[in-house]
Amino acid sequence: MSATSEAAKTAEAIEEQHDEHHEHHEQSFWRTYIFSTDHKVIGMQYGFCGLAFLFFGFCLIATMRWSMAYEGQAVPFVGPLLEALLGNNVARGGVMSAELYNVFGAMHGTIMVFMGIVPVAFAAFGNYVVPLQIGAVDMAFPRVNMASFWAFFLGCIIMTVSFFIPGGAAQAGWTSYSPLASVIPTDGQTYWLIGMIMLITSSLLGAVNFIATIINLRAPGMTWLRLPFFVWAQFITAFLLLLAFPPLEAAGIMQLMDRVLETSFFLPTGLVVGGQDVDVSGGGSPLLWQHLFWFLAHPEVYVLVLPGMGIVAEIIANNTRKPIWGYKYLVGSVVVLGFLAFIVWAHHMYMTGMGTVISAFFQTTTLIISIPSIIILTCLFISLWGGSIRFNTPMLFALAFLPMFGIGGLTGLPLGFNFSDVALHDSYYVIAHFHYVVAPGTIFAIFAGVYYWFPKMTGRIMNEFWGRVHFWGSLIFMNLIFMPMFAQGMAGMSRRMSDGGATYSLANPDNADITVGALGDTIMGLNVSISAAAWAMLVVQLPFIVNLFWSVKHGEKVKSDNPWQATTLEWETPTPPPHGNFTKEIKVYRDPYEYSVPGAKEDFTPQAQPAK
Amino acid sequence: MEIPYTVKPRPDTGLYNAKLGIWLFLASEVMLFGALFSSYVLLRVGAEPGTWSMGLMDLFVGAGNTMVLIASSMFVVLAWAELKQGNLAGYKKWKWATIACAVLFLCVKWGYEWPSKFKHYDVWLNNATVLHEKFDEGYHEVASHGEHADDEHEHGDAAHGGDVEKHVEKIYTTRFFKERSEPSHAAFDDAWRNGTLALSGHINAYEEAQIDVRITDWKADAGVSEADAEKALAKQGAEDAAGLRLNGGLLLSKTGYDIAKRAEYALGQAGFTVALSVAGYERVEAHPWMWRTKRVNEDIGGKPRVSSIVFGLDHSHHQEITLDVGDIKRLSAYEPKHSTFFGIYYTITGLHAAHVFGGILIMLYNMLPIGLGLWHRDREQFTNRIETFGLFWHFVDLVWIFLFPILYIL
Repeated sequence: MSATSEAAKTAEAIEEQHDEHHEHHEQSFWRTYIFSTDHKVIGMQYGFCGLAFLFFGFCLIATMRWSMAYEGQAVPFVGPLLEALLGNNVARGGVMSAELYNVFGAMHGTIMVFMGIVPVAFAAFGNYVVPLQIGAVDMAFPRVNMASFWAFFLGCIIMTVSFFIPGGAAQAGWTSYSPLASVIPTDGQTYWLIGMIMLITSSLLGAVNFIATIINLRAPGMTWLRLPFFVWAQFITAFLLLLAFPPLEAAGIMQLMDRVLETSFFLPTGLVVGGQDVDVSGGGSPLLWQHLFWFLAHPEVYVLVLPGMGIVAEIIANNTRKPIWGYKYLVGSVVVLGFLAFIVWAHHMYMTGMGTVISAFFQTTTLIISIPSIIILTCLFISLWGGSIRFNTPMLFALAFLPMFGIGGLTGLPLGFNFSDVALHDSYYVIAHFHYVVAPGTIFAIFAGVYYWFPKMTGRIMNEFWGRVHFWGSLIFMNLIFMPMFAQGMAGMSRRMSDGGATYSLANPDNADITVGALGDTIMGLNVSISAAAWAMLVVQLPFIVNLFWSVKHGEKVKSDNPWQATTLEWETPTPPPHGNFTKEIKVYRDPYEYSVPGAKEDFTPQAQPAK
Repeated sequence: MEIPYTVKPRPDTGLYNAKLGIWLFLASEVMLFGALFSSYVLLRVGAEPGTWSMGLMDLFVGAGNTMVLIASSMFVVLAWAELKQGNLAGYKKWKWATIACAVLFLCVKWGYEWPSKFKHYDVWLNNATVLHEKFDEGYHEVASHGEHADDEHEHGDAAHGGDVEKHVEKIYTTRFFKERSEPSHAAFDDAWRNGTLALSGHINAYEEAQIDVRITDWKADAGVSEADAEKALAKQGAEDAAGLRLNGGLLLSKTGYDIAKRAEYALGQAGFTVALSVAGYERVEAHPWMWRTKRVNEDIGGKPRVSSIVFGLDHSHHQEITLDVGDIKRLSAYEPKHSTFFGIYYTITGLHAAHVFGGILIMLYNMLPIGLGLWHRDREQFTNRIETFGLFWHFVDLVWIFLFPILYIL
């Protein structure tokens, strides 16, 4: 690359394209599409893998929902498949065993968080859009970028393979609490840990690259407060990944030592398993694992949410045809959120008995962190005021994000207070709360982003009618799934029960004399309706999947490089953008969202348009 | 396509891309090692008195390795400074010096420090009486070899006064507490009374089982033909394979564990039922590595694999005691499994050593023609590359400077 550097520096735009064209010809199919260093190809690789794993993770829970609604009955359609693939000791006659339920539960969480949402929301959109939005030719370290994807891919393979080893994949929940995770005799947890170390390595390489790119490769004139909010969100997310993931890597290495070399980092003295003393030195601390895990996993929540907020802000500005209200507040809030995200983790641990002083501290920080979140959401809501809103599919998803994320956020407040958390801890209320944040929250933002940037990636627009079918179906069923869970949780239903709480229900004849803590028929009946909604949810994703692939070849062609009439730089490129992105010199003259500027010829003024 | 600021710094940030990248990478490394250091603190604070066994480190070796790494950090800067002046030969000289230091560090760590720990043991005994007896026995030996008492003068009062407990307390408190104080005395008292103290030393010899291997049965329906089954027997050294297959009998007499186990496995595959029994025990003079309770207690036809071990309480071979394995509650070399201290010791030093090893590979790459090619294409970029490596190397050095006190001194 540096051999051509002198030439490229002085070259005119067309010559540069020619030069690059020349470079391109030497690249094989493998280098262009598989082992590519181009940020856009890597972004799409992440996107496809991530979406595939989101779907796979969803299929896991759809299967689990059968066990919860109709425990002990053979799973229709997939039951025989489970028995054939995973063996008849875990799925005899197509019936899901409790062990298999645990495997699917642990892997549903792991896959959705680490192999689904982070790769799509952060890595895919970040890789594709961030360099374009800041006017860069590529990421700062293209080969590191490729290494990041392949580390991720290897981690995914290890995780997937672990389903098929004897005993199946990890069973101790996505949180992998020790000592349970350390003493489970099957190898799934060991695979999980090695897979996680690969995924963490991938995040680390990606985060370094994102931050370096945003700091050093901004186009001339692209000052910090001219960055689109999406870039800010990705920038803070990258810092969270950079600094919060390594402690989990350390914890993963220690748990691996516990499992493989029989150390006892997380195993207390006098541990008895199955009535037998465990032959280890003891002296370890189960709480240590929880601290290290949640030190990552709480910032991870913001890793899941911030890119979604960024996507939604872009789409709202574009489709209300007015600037985002309070751009500077948004930026300030997201920076504060990034800092505070590191000091709230132990609100996941109120029940561990770590002491009232520590609980009080983390309760305080937890409630403080809701302030910037509310500022962001409020700014986005106010941005709608007085806009001439275009209700296209991306905008519908972005609009739905706001109240859905709002429900998720506000229902988190009782969990942030330790007195109310004591009652709600580990119940279905918690499940409903965080799924409202990430499922109709972040996943809706992901859908919005796919519909919004698809024309830039392919030059075609996704079908609007099926987009609406997908939207309304998802919105309705999403709420039918998660809203009843609040009721179940408040009635006292615990999470992670393969029979959906039947053991504890009033309907269970063994519980005839129990009145406190038993679950009534209505609450138990919700298991069936929630499961039905989940399967319906699966069906309404089909239009999206078909639409996505069909539109690549048959979608309506875009009439210009800027079909949404947007202001940000990604729309200044040819469609789809070539290797090297821009065919003209990019210089930034104005703020990111100059929509409907009084006196302007059109209702949008691109960032790259020089001042008169 | 050309990515800007790969060589020259961006004016407003003052950084070229790689320098920014390496600082970000180091920030994450700080969090990685920071988490391990935090774990060290939490585990140590939570450790029961008398279980944080860190007084065993060789301060001299650790200090030497620290000096070696500090020197390497200086050499790596000198190498970069030579490049800044355009002197490739000077660069090579200092870079080799850096590599030599790094290799020396790893040789000491992986070639001496770790292996010597794998031959050093702690033994916990089943009850306090046995422990006290064994202590008496061990130090009684010292008294009877009076002429040796002066080369281990710290054991002097035990030899003469016979006050074993006081003597043991002295060793014990220096190991776990670094000084004799009220809490250390109380902790020792408690451990002495309850018998939770460990004897520490080397296994000088042991009595290992001599195993008889007998054929008791052969199943014709196991899917192995008679000829193949007999061939399998002959392979294990049977003289009358056909007779053994039909009537059973003694195949191997007083053989070693590995041979017996291999025969058991191979013949099991060929449809035989094999019985192992202990014919007797043979004394073996050796210093085994990384033995565990599970190994010595392994059940062979109702008897343990090792009947007793001769345990040396120091290097002199005079404080030797013989321990019946039945009395042993737990036996562990100073390996990761030994205790949380050794667990964290091997985890952190192992991760650090992996960084040193990775650094050596990168340095070698930058010395080979493939790496030096960049120097001939773009001198400034190559110099930058050496600078960013230097930043990484300083970090690796810095980690050790924190590790040394927390693992060797404090």
